[in-house]
Amino acid sequence: MAGWLDPHDSVAVTLTVNGAPRKVRVPPRRTLADALRDAGFTSVRLGCEHGVCGSCTILLDGAAVRSCLMLAVQGQGHTIETVESLTDGDELSTLQQAFDDNDALQCGFCTPGFLMLIEGLLRSEPEAGRDRILEVVSSNLCRCTGAVPVFQAALNALAANRDDP
Amino acid sequence: MSAPGGGLIGSPAPRRKNRELLTGEGTYVADIRLEGQVYARVVRSPSAHARLLGVDTSEALRVGGVVAVITADDIDDIRIPIRLPFAESPEANAVLQAPLAADVVRYVGEPVAVVVADDPYVAEDAAELVSIDLDELEPVLDPANSTESSQPLVHESFGSNTIGRLAYRYGDIDAAFARADVVVRRRLRVHRLAAAPMETRGLAADYDPGSGVLTVWGGAKVKHFTRALLSRVLGLELTDVRVIEVEVGGGFGTRGEPYPEDILIPLLARRLERPVQWIEDRWEHMVATNHAREQEHDFELAAGADGRMLGFRVRGWCDHGAYVRTQGLLPVVLPMVHLPGPYEWPAFSMDLDAVLTNRTPVGTYRGPGMTEATFVRERMVDILAAELEMEPADLRRRNLIPAESMPFSFMPGPGSGAVMPIMYQGGDFVTAFDQMLDGAGYDRMRVEQRQARADGQHAGVGIAAYIEFAAVGPFEEVEVIGGAGNVVVRAGVGSLGQGVETALAQIAAELLDVPLSGVTVEFHDTAEVPQGFGSFASRSTVLAGNAIAAAVDEMKAKAAPLLGCGPGDVEFRDGTATAPGDRSVGLGDIGPTRGRFEKEGLTASFGGAVCSVSVNPADGRARVDRFALAHDVGRAVNPRLLRGQLAGAAAQGIGGALFEEVAYDEHGQPLSVTFADYMMPTAAELPDVEVTIIEHGSGSNPLGIKGGGEAGMVGSLGAVANGVADAVGDGAEVLTSSVSSARLWHALHRPRRA
Amino acid sequence: MKPPPFAYAAAGTLDEAVALLDEAGEDAKLLAGGQSLLPLLAFRLARPSHLIDIGGVEGLDILEEQDGSLCVGALVRHATLERADLSGGWQALREAASLIGHLPIRVRGTFGGSLSHADPAGELGVVAAAFDAEIVLRSLRGVRTVPARDFFLAPLTTAADPDEVLVEARFPTPGTGFRSVFEEFSPRVGDFAYASVAAGCRLATDGLARDVRIALGSVGPTPVRARDAEQALSGSFLDDTAIVECARLAAETCHPDAGDWHADGTYRKALVSHLVERALRRLGAGP
Repeated sequence: MAGWLDPHDSVAVTLTVNGAPRKVRVPPRRTLADALRDAGFTSVRLGCEHGVCGSCTILLDGAAVRSCLMLAVQGQGHTIETVESLTDGDELSTLQQAFDDNDALQCGFCTPGFLMLIEGLLRSEPEAGRDRILEVVSSNLCRCTGAVPVFQAALNALAANRDDP
Repeated sequence: MSAPGGGLIGSPAPRRKNRELLTGEGTYVADIRLEGQVYARVVRSPSAHARLLGVDTSEALRVGGVVAVITADDIDDIRIPIRLPFAESPEANAVLQAPLAADVVRYVGEPVAVVVADDPYVAEDAAELVSIDLDELEPVLDPANSTESSQPLVHESFGSNTIGRLAYRYGDIDAAFARADVVVRRRLRVHRLAAAPMETRGLAADYDPGSGVLTVWGGAKVKHFTRALLSRVLGLELTDVRVIEVEVGGGFGTRGEPYPEDILIPLLARRLERPVQWIEDRWEHMVATNHAREQEHDFELAAGADGRMLGFRVRGWCDHGAYVRTQGLLPVVLPMVHLPGPYEWPAFSMDLDAVLTNRTPVGTYRGPGMTEATFVRERMVDILAAELEMEPADLRRRNLIPAESMPFSFMPGPGSGAVMPIMYQGGDFVTAFDQMLDGAGYDRMRVEQRQARADGQHAGVGIAAYIEFAAVGPFEEVEVIGGAGNVVVRAGVGSLGQGVETALAQIAAELLDVPLSGVTVEFHDTAEVPQGFGSFASRSTVLAGNAIAAAVDEMKAKAAPLLGCGPGDVEFRDGTATAPGDRSVGLGDIGPTRGRFEKEGLTASFGGAVCSVSVNPADGRARVDRFALAHDVGRAVNPRLLRGQLAGAAAQGIGGALFEEVAYDEHGQPLSVTFADYMMPTAAELPDVEVTIIEHGSGSNPLGIKGGGEAGMVGSLGAVANGVADAVGDGAEVLTSSVSSARLWHALHRPRRA
Repeated sequence: MKPPPFAYAAAGTLDEAVALLDEAGEDAKLLAGGQSLLPLLAFRLARPSHLIDIGGVEGLDILEEQDGSLCVGALVRHATLERADLSGGWQALREAASLIGHLPIRVRGTFGGSLSHADPAGELGVVAAAFDAEIVLRSLRGVRTVPARDFFLAPLTTAADPDEVLVEARFPTPGTGFRSVFEEFSPRVGDFAYASVAAGCRLATDGLARDVRIALGSVGPTPVRARDAEQALSGSFLDDTAIVECARLAAETCHPDAGDWHADGTYRKALVSHLVERALRRLGAGP
């Protein structure tokens, strides 16, 4: 049986981030979002730290989750993807390009979280219809655009993927 | 001046920065990590109003990892000043905020102490151990009643909860009411809102004892003012303070003003000689960062039976919260200048009080004052339309100031106080109004409304027309440095995510005939940018853009002797200054050139919004099905970015009407401190905002541009409220700017007005 | 807004979880998906001395019919439940799961976590009340079963003792022809509902409603069964008159008191009536 980890002791946690193993030392209370940011993945943004805004959304084993609502120790052994993984060399992904084309970003703070949210949908539900896409896009907040352009970008990206999977 | 033609100004150039932001590379202030950095946590008042008997920091200091704890006893007795001379008064200056409360706490969230530790988690642990000894006092919570003698005083030494009373008289108001066929009267309330950018505020500060330079990251909006303030309160030379703007996650008027933390964090960095970072958390943001909009107005409108509006009287109370902050009396000044709006009133009389309550201070939020005033006036115009059984658009059109009356002014008459005169430089309101209706497809909206009603639905159409005063001076200065085929522009404005760097690059590229990619706009660092007033009041593109035009004129003057011709003969072609006969010099040979654009007063622009709304009376839910807005920007520098600004602002306004509210309980405890409670709209609740850009030029600046960053907000509360009122018809009276489902359901199920 | 300090242990098996919980004492808490617990920690509204992570415990994600009941394991994620092949009788469960927060919350959030959190706005507790689910608790002392009506005691308070782990809930399989639906009103997509309704019945061949079940959420300290409304509808046709009367009785059943500042009690009662009506019309309209 695993033993207790004291509140102020740190433990080594191995996360697989964007394909590479990352060892971080964290006390039990450190959130996954903070641990990722400390490890240099600052695209994981903290907008509310209580699981509403979605700016810290990452992919955990391929599904979109809020990294502020996980402890780093819960990430042990899991596969994590952040927005840094989307770009292939210099080329923006179809989804990133759709954001650019649809003016789906202004200040950019919420953008990585939205990208990962929709990336998760692209992968798990490539056939998602308009209502489902809207429901999923409504998971996150964008104060600059109101997120309707983000919805448009998501529609375009899903359509493009269906045409050219 | 340079004669800008087609080309880049007016083109939908792609926004700069997008790539960096899409790949997650942008650096925001929380991403800054400095060697030896420590973390600050602000200890805040848990009480809305109490005497502060003592603050015990001993237990907090014993926590391992804690570096320092300071209270008011540890800092000089200073007040954060008002930034704008026209928003100051002796009364306002008597109720400014200190960085840390000393004797009395006046709102929940007021800073009382700061803990610094080597880890943000530990800082929060230790902050909980700072013990605050309070003797509770009754809080003042209702702006309209705050001036009653039974109410306690927010600032005992000041002796009143009213810190200013503005009076504006125009025409013969008694005569106007005497000859009126119809008078409508209502008490209207605008609810408290928060800008709530997705990134909270934050700062990182580092003091280098060797060079004596203090560097502060996280500046925004008014970096140069912050620099001057820090230099003064910390006793540093102006040139030894650098304020640097990194990526900013939205501002909307609230971010970037100097708040208590903007003094405390640099002060700690200097005192500890260690880099200190402070990142506001969301709970803090909802109590510490300026709120906006809350006010009440008793409004009477007099009109003839033919629909001619003869005059209005308004008595209003504009909440400033517990202290006057850097924006001074703007929460009362701005509603006043925007209340008359685009109509040709023969007379009006306005009395607005600036009042204090024991709640978070109020500042400006996108479309400040004008959004509130537009809601109040436009709701009343619709109430009048219902009374007269007139079509709301027709009633408005009949009363708009005609183009032939331009320029137009409502000069303050006898009985007025020291108020800013209301003047419109130009514009054709009637044509613009019809452009708005056409753009929205107003007639079709009405047809669809009739069809929906025939199907038993509660469908409404709402209109609001407004005047926005924007692009405030006094001036902006830029430096333009030419090189071989490239240009650097240094400007003192800021980027809050709105894309000003793209718009300024377009202006410079067109005027100097260089490729857009060859222009760099620098505005991040006060050490590199001579001076500036900042980004607010939709001024950045207008002021800095025209300063670029002035710099380009100056470059012609400097190039002329090099080319042996007159300045008027110099043309910029393909990155060089040329003279007739094929002589040319490179931009780099002209040398760095400064341009300055001075601007008096404010620029008035006309705009409006039209929306269609459906209401479900069973659950009170209102939905904005369509929202179309129009705004006169004079000339669109980048229509694509402009649309984004206008539509984004409207989205905030729609959310403000339908969902958002900053609420307090009867003890002054804030209720909207989470994003589950402060409900901003998502894609699922918003329509795709339709934008009509009107370009009626402007004689007041060489480039002919007016403000555009905020305008989408201005008509939103009024249009949505009018749409909801129209949808429910006689079913309910809409008298507040919040039409949340609960409010609306109650309005629908309240006994009807007699 | 950082969690307070706590000791942590990850359990690999249910036995370990039970032993760790016993050892840690009454200020310990279980961590499963964490979607309710992490916000409480962030605001420091919860300050557990110990967290026992049961996320990796095997065998707690059962979702199948056994011995006349649908067993839903504590670690079944909402996202799994919302996509599960549950129609007809179980449709309310699937619909309720699909209305919990947003997709990223449902990907992590667990069935057992939601029931244990006992938020009066929690959708799954309302379904558990409607179906008379039995909640299975385990501790070193043994296993016991608590019916849903006795499980929810007050907001954020359940009948589970500090040393007990919620293992699963068993939903008795209803008779053939039984159908159920879930309806709620939330201001925005994904918000906590101001009112919610789980409703089910069997329309017999004679067209009369039998085995009527109506439970309400967000309108009291715990989920509420609207027994008077159920009785009134039992044995009658699902026609307009019966539906309206049933909705009225349901609204009378609940006592949301003052509600909260978003939605007061009077408004919530009105929503109940509206939602019950909507749910019954759906049941009446057939599959």
